[in-house]
Amino acid sequence: MKPGGILVLLAACLAACSNEARTIGPAMPQTLPSGDADPRIGAYQENAYQVSQGRRYFAWYGCSQCHAEGGPADRDLTDGKWRHGGGFAQVYASVASGHPEQDFVRRIAIEQLWQITAYVRDLPTHTAEKRYRLLVDQKGEAQGSSWNGPQ
Amino acid sequence: MNRASPLLAIGLLAACSGRQSPLAPAGDQAETLHQLFLLALAVCGIVYLVVVAALVWSLMRRGRDEDRDGAMRGLNRGLWATGIGIVLGVTILIVGSFLADRALFATRGEDALEVRITGHQWWWRIEYRVGGTARWIETANELHLPRGRTTRVLLGSADVIHSFWVPNVAGKIDMIPGRRNVLDLTPRQSGWFRGQCGEYCGMQHAHMAFDVKVEEPAQFEAWLARQSRMARPVGDSRGMHGQAVFARTCSACHAVRGTTASGRAGPDLTHVGARRSIAAGTITMSRGALQGWIAQPQALKPGTSMPAIPLAPADADAVAHYLAGLR
Repeated sequence: MKPGGILVLLAACLAACSNEARTIGPAMPQTLPSGDADPRIGAYQENAYQVSQGRRYFAWYGCSQCHAEGGPADRDLTDGKWRHGGGFAQVYASVASGHPEQDFVRRIAIEQLWQITAYVRDLPTHTAEKRYRLLVDQKGEAQGSSWNGPQ
Repeated sequence: MNRASPLLAIGLLAACSGRQSPLAPAGDQAETLHQLFLLALAVCGIVYLVVVAALVWSLMRRGRDEDRDGAMRGLNRGLWATGIGIVLGVTILIVGSFLADRALFATRGEDALEVRITGHQWWWRIEYRVGGTARWIETANELHLPRGRTTRVLLGSADVIHSFWVPNVAGKIDMIPGRRNVLDLTPRQSGWFRGQCGEYCGMQHAHMAFDVKVEEPAQFEAWLARQSRMARPVGDSRGMHGQAVFARTCSACHAVRGTTASGRAGPDLTHVGARRSIAAGTITMSRGALQGWIAQPQALKPGTSMPAIPLAPADADAVAHYLAGLR
């Protein structure tokens, strides 16, 4: 490989280094998004770690039981069509208040709602390969109140 | 320095007899590995002493031996002796390693108590098989073992690679997603020990520990019988209030058997009040520590998946009171 190629490869590798950068500790959002221009949105929507945590909670809180991939079209979250709007604040409101029977507002903490919203809004960008990989990655974790043993 | 060196030695050796040490074996498997360690230490120690002695000897003889032929003869003899020493040392280590390996698997053919342990970021799901059935009794972050009996732990992982390590009882073995590793434990000494994840598994790897209690078989059976029961009914109004708040806000991830809380993502809390620590060995169990953990898990264990759920002070107090009473 030419030195130029190596440099490009190195740059590509390092470009991903800040993908998961985040502050740790108790500095999470305590309030819901104020609108689609809320300055906190980027820290969740553009952050690979926050999106992946969103996926975990999505399964743990049982969301994937109804919104399974390849499920009925009206519950399909992967097609990029949003019945109640696709902005961050709109999707957040759909998750938190759109399921009154589940009482998510009280059952899911605010930061977890931010993460789940970021994940749900990330879904339409997933390729088939990524969907399969994520499915395999999370096979050993709980879905709502069911857990089927380690992978 | 002279006066300080005994203190330094004590400081270094103080770690050798702890509740998390491979140098204080309390079980057959740990004893086997300890013997292998001593054998390797002896062989390597002898090699080290011989090399240092030869070096000192050659330095002291520098320039004395002018007889070139005599020196060549000496060198030949020395090379032969060294070759024999190497073969002997390596043979001893190979035989020792082989015997130790056989000893670690000596119990594999026998019936044993089965315990399934699953690594999660960053805690341990522990399930005891009810004799010969497909039923499992679930608990978390605290492993009890009957003294003098073999327990077979079946190790798996729900997310990334972890490693099961209770050095006083046995060697460590990885917990790999998609794979089932098996380890036999035959503890011989009662007491509390500490287990620790032995493979870097993310931000809170260091806080992924668990308590291990080796106890007499009768005591163990009584403990297991208590664990298999449903949560005991709450006696007072504060506990009732705590139970209601828990069922509303915590039940998505935590189960308390015998109540409506049935989440499986986090540790089973049916008998959490009887455990020795909170959050996989992060803090000592107490009523206050429980409330602190509920209030600010991210301050005590940054990165943990346990969310900080804002509860009114009276609600948080009631939940902690309720959990502490689940014994």
